[in-house]
Amino acid sequence: MMVIRVLFLAVALLVSTAAQAHKASDAYLQLEVGEHRLALRWDIALRDLDAAITLDADDDGRITWGEVRTAWPRIEAYALPRLQVVGCPLHLVGHGLERRGDGAYAVLQLESACVLKTLPALRYSLLRDVDPTHRGIAKLQFADGRPPVLRLLEPMELELPSPSSLPAAAPLPDPQAAVAAPAAASRFEFLRDGVRHILTGYDHVLFLLCLLLPSVMRRTGGPGQATHWEPVEHLSQAVLPVIGIVSAFTIAHSITLGVAAAQWIALPAAFIEPAIAATIVLAALDNLWPIFPVRRVAVAFCFGLIHGFGFAGVLAELNLPSVRFALALLEFNVGLELGQLAIVVVTVTLLFLLRHRARYRALVVRGGSLAAIAIGALWWVERTANIAWLPV
Amino acid sequence: MRSTAIHRLAFGAILGAFIAMACQATPITPLRDDEVIDVLPRTAAAAAGARGDERRARQQHALNPRDAGLALGIAKRELARAHELGDPRYAGRALAAIGAWNDDDANAPGEVLLMRATVQQYLHEFDAAAATLQRLLSRRDVQNQPQAWLTLATVRRVQGRYADSDSACRRVAAAGAALHGAACLAENAALRGESERARAMLNGLLATPRLENGTRAWLLTTLAELEQRAGRDDASDAAYRAALQAEPRDDYARLAYADFLIDQKRPAQALAVLKPQVRSDAVLLRLAMAGQQAGTAQAAADAAEMRERIAVANERPDAKRFHGREQAMFALWVERDPARALALARGNVAQQREPLDLLVYAQAARQSGQGSARREAQRLADEVGLRDARVQALL
Repeated sequence: MMVIRVLFLAVALLVSTAAQAHKASDAYLQLEVGEHRLALRWDIALRDLDAAITLDADDDGRITWGEVRTAWPRIEAYALPRLQVVGCPLHLVGHGLERRGDGAYAVLQLESACVLKTLPALRYSLLRDVDPTHRGIAKLQFADGRPPVLRLLEPMELELPSPSSLPAAAPLPDPQAAVAAPAAASRFEFLRDGVRHILTGYDHVLFLLCLLLPSVMRRTGGPGQATHWEPVEHLSQAVLPVIGIVSAFTIAHSITLGVAAAQWIALPAAFIEPAIAATIVLAALDNLWPIFPVRRVAVAFCFGLIHGFGFAGVLAELNLPSVRFALALLEFNVGLELGQLAIVVVTVTLLFLLRHRARYRALVVRGGSLAAIAIGALWWVERTANIAWLPV
Repeated sequence: MRSTAIHRLAFGAILGAFIAMACQATPITPLRDDEVIDVLPRTAAAAAGARGDERRARQQHALNPRDAGLALGIAKRELARAHELGDPRYAGRALAAIGAWNDDDANAPGEVLLMRATVQQYLHEFDAAAATLQRLLSRRDVQNQPQAWLTLATVRRVQGRYADSDSACRRVAAAGAALHGAACLAENAALRGESERARAMLNGLLATPRLENGTRAWLLTTLAELEQRAGRDDASDAAYRAALQAEPRDDYARLAYADFLIDQKRPAQALAVLKPQVRSDAVLLRLAMAGQQAGTAQAAADAAEMRERIAVANERPDAKRFHGREQAMFALWVERDPARALALARGNVAQQREPLDLLVYAQAARQSGQGSARREAQRLADEVGLRDARVQALL
C-alpha cells in the first residue's frame, strides 16, 4: 500500500508536467555606459527577495509597504555584494518599487565613476542559494551610440566581500524611482538585537550580577561555615576570576543557544524560564553560604547552559533570515557577549572602587544577594504559576 | 452601428492600456505602511498559517543543509507549488533545497536523486532527468525503485523513446507495483496504435477493486487519449468525463479534455472546463484558443495577455525550452502564423515528442505549405513509432 501511495504522488506529478509553463525568476539590469560614468538599474522581484531574506515578516502572505520600508537595508545588504562590474565599484544612489506583469519589483539604482574601454565584465550571484534557475537579464546601452548588448547572467559562485567593505549608501538624486532614502546602513541588525536582548533581559543581568558581587572579595573560612569575605588588594586578583567565570558562562550559553537554534534539543519554555529564576536564587545563596561543592567557574558553566536555552527562546521572534542563518545567529550571539562585556566592565570597576567601604560586605554582598534571592524566588513563583507581580 | 463602434473604441483603449501596463514597469509610490505592495501566491501547498512554519523549516534547513528529511520536505512543497501555479521559480527553489548533494555525490540519498530527477523533468531537462534516474537505479540497494522506474518510463515516453520506456515499465512491475507497470505498458502500446490491446488492458486495470481516485483518473485519461487518437470521439469524451468525475482537481486531465473539446469545435464547453483553473500559461493559451473559436469578448484580452507573457518570457534566450509547445500552439492557432509556428514546433520536438507536440508540428507543416516540412514531420512520427489518426490525416 505504501508503494502505491508514493507512486500516486509521482503519477500526479508526472502526468501534469506536460503542459504547464510560466515565466521563471528573472531580474532585470539596465546598464548605461557613459564616458566617465556607469549607471546601473537593477530590478529584483519581491517574491524572490522574500525567499532569501523574508520580507513578509508577519507571514500573512502580503508584502506591505511597511515591511519593505524596514527591509531596505537588508535588501541592499543582500543584493549589492552579489553583483560586480569588474573595474567599477558600485555605489547605491537610490531605490524604489515598481509593478511588472508578474508582481512588484524592488529597484536599486547604482552608479560608478569609472571608465570602461571594453565591454564590462559582469559577475553575478543573486539568489544562487535560493533558486539556481534564476537569471539576470542585462541590457547594456552605450552613450557613444554603439548598439545595445544583451547578456544573460547565470548565478555563479562569487567571493562575497566582508560586510564592512560594502559600498555605503548615499542620498538619492532621482525623485522619480526613489520613494525613500536608503536608511543609514543598519548592517549589524542582529548584533544589535543581541546587545538589546542582554541589556533588557533582566534575569540574565541579575544572574551575572550575583556572580560578580563577591568578585572583588576573597572568600575565607572553609566549607560548612558561613562565608567571610575579605577585599582583594589588587585589581588583577579580581579580574582573573571574573574572566574565568564570565568565559565559562559565555561558552556554556553559546553551546545551548546553538544546539537549540539548530533544534537538536528543544526544551519547553515552561521548564527553562523557572529554571533561570532558580539559578539566580542559588547563585545568590552561594554568596551567603557556600552551597556548591565545586568552584564557581563550574557553577557558571552549568547555569550558563540553562541560560542559553533562554536566549534561544527569543530567536523565533527575531526573524533571522533563512539564507546565512548561521551567520545571523553568530551575529546575535556576538551581540549578547558584547552587551555582557559592557555590564561586567562597569560592574566590576564600580565594585572594585567600593570594596573597602565599611558597609560593602553588609550592604552590597549580603544585601544584594538577599535582594537577588527575593527577586529570583518571586520570578520562580510567577513563572511556575503563570502569574505576574513584578513589572518585568 | 454607432454603439458597436464606440464599444470597439473603448475596448481598444482598455486593451492598449493593459498592454502598456504589462510591457512597462510602472513605479509604485506607496503612502501608508499598511499598503499591500505584493501578494504572494496563495496555493494549496501553502495553506494559511503555514508560512511561519515554512520559514522556520527554511531556517533549520540553512543550518543543516544535509538533513535529507528537512531538504526533501521543502523540495516537495516547492515542486507542488510550481505545478499548481505553473511557475518554474518554485521548481528552482526545490532544486536549491537539495543543493547540498552534488550530482556525483555517492552519498546522496536515493530520494534526493529521485526528487532532483522529478524537478528536472518539470523543467523539461529530460536528458538530465534520465541521467539522474539512471545514476540512482544503478545503485545496488535503492529505496523507491518502482517510483524511479516509473519516472524514467515517463521521461522516455515524452522523449518519444517508446522501447526504452517499455523496458522501464517492466521494471516498475518487477519492483512490485504491478498495476502501475501494466498501465505504463498499456500507454506505450496505445501510442504505437495497438488500440484494442491497450483498451482491454486499461479496462482490466480499471476493474481493480478499491482504486484510488487519482489512479482511476490517470487510467481514464490514458484511455481517453487513446480513443481520441483512434478517432473514437464519443468514447474519448465519456472517458474524459469519467476521469474528471473521479478526480476533479486533475489538472492534466482538465487541460487534455479542453484540447479535445477545442478540437471538436465545442469551445463553450472547453471554457467551462478551464474556468476553475489557475491562469498558468497553459490554461491561458487554451482560454485564448477557445475564446477565439467561440468569438467571446474576452478572447482578444486573453490573447493579448498570452502574447505579452510570451514576449516577457522570451527576454530570456533559453525560454523556448520550457515554453516551446505553448508558443508553437499560440502561433499556430491564435496568431495564425504557420511559418512561425513551424519554426517553434520544430524546435520543440527536438526534446518533447508527445502526440500533441507531433500534432502541432504536422499541422504547422501542412499549413505552411512546405512539402519538405511535411516529410520531416512524417519521418519523425515514423521514427518515434506514434500512430495517431489526427496526425496521419494531416500528412
